[in-house]
Amino acid sequence: MPSDTRESEKRQRDKLQRDASRVPTGIAELDRMLHGGLLPGTANLVEGAPGTGKSTLGMQFIQHGITVCNEPGLILTFEEFPQQYYQDAANFGWDFHAHEANDKLRVIMTSPEVTRADLRQINGRLESQVHELGARRALVDSLSHFEYLAEDPVELRQIIYEFINGLKRLGLTTVLTRENAALLGETPDSEEDLAFVMDSYVMLRYVEIQSAVHKALLVLKLRGSNHEKDIRQFAITKHGIEVRARFEGTQGIMSGSPVMTHAEAFAAAFLKG
Amino acid sequence: MSDTNDFATSLMDDMDPGLLDLIKNQINSFIKWDLVRFFHDNPHTTDTADSIARYTGRDVRTIEPELLQLARDGILQMEDLAGMRVFTLTGDEPTRALIQDFIAACDDRQFRVKAIYHVIRGLR
Repeated sequence: MPSDTRESEKRQRDKLQRDASRVPTGIAELDRMLHGGLLPGTANLVEGAPGTGKSTLGMQFIQHGITVCNEPGLILTFEEFPQQYYQDAANFGWDFHAHEANDKLRVIMTSPEVTRADLRQINGRLESQVHELGARRALVDSLSHFEYLAEDPVELRQIIYEFINGLKRLGLTTVLTRENAALLGETPDSEEDLAFVMDSYVMLRYVEIQSAVHKALLVLKLRGSNHEKDIRQFAITKHGIEVRARFEGTQGIMSGSPVMTHAEAFAAAFLKG
Repeated sequence: MSDTNDFATSLMDDMDPGLLDLIKNQINSFIKWDLVRFFHDNPHTTDTADSIARYTGRDVRTIEPELLQLARDGILQMEDLAGMRVFTLTGDEPTRALIQDFIAACDDRQFRVKAIYHVIRGLR
């Protein structure tokens, strides 16, 4: 067998092995950025301003798990009513009602204090639901509500650390959303602190470019694996989130108000002149 | 007086006895009606009276006694979770089926009018 063929087969085997140990989100380009998807049994933070698409990303992760990977899912909601998820999902053509009827999904409206206490129990309700359903994925929407449990950031971090370890103990790969109050610009320090306890950290941002608001996505962290670090444009389409090309010709994207790179500024000035 | 009784009798006559019994004995207030609908729509919810009050947009002092009565009547389950009193929809299948029938019947305006009549009559 020629060495090129052997090499190609080895690469293919390595890729398959790598893919098998990943949990794809179902957002093709994001999965490529994550080199195949999230790592199994991990806690993954998706943080962004209101309306950036955090819950949509989470729902797409759940939908993909059920329909493509045969991995049932749970949605723990601390704010929205389950009806809201059914409705939002239906807008993308995802039938969450049918998934619930087929025992592939449970949308559970609850409070952080009860969930936390329940997870601490042996054979708690959440654990029973995971076993009954054979759930492999979870969406926690949103982690921001845990802030009511403790004012002290250190205590809050410990509570969240314990909570995500509880989810990991159940074998779930979890997407946790978190709201960032700032519509544009940098993340407050307290939110960066929280990223330390997470296995991955995806930031969604609004970006103003030439008097128009765009959306940007960045994988800031993926513990235990390499990942793409470019800042991508994304849009919420009728099929869900679609990650597109990187921002070209601008810098300072994550500040919310990027400026043109020197080359672009020069070209713009040249064209104006 | 007899007219009122005749009317009440006629309302009971064409109502499913199981649902009539549910309305007269368990869902005998509008707050309980709201709570039963909430738990029907959220059958996996387990939460405190405070949280349920928030979800249903009511005062906890108003709903807590009603939650306790629903738990006593077997519509809800009540348990202690790390010092918190939490409520969830009963796991009893026949009761769940009855609640499902009640909620489905409420889609019919005629049924709702009759149910409202019975609840008001029970509140007197």
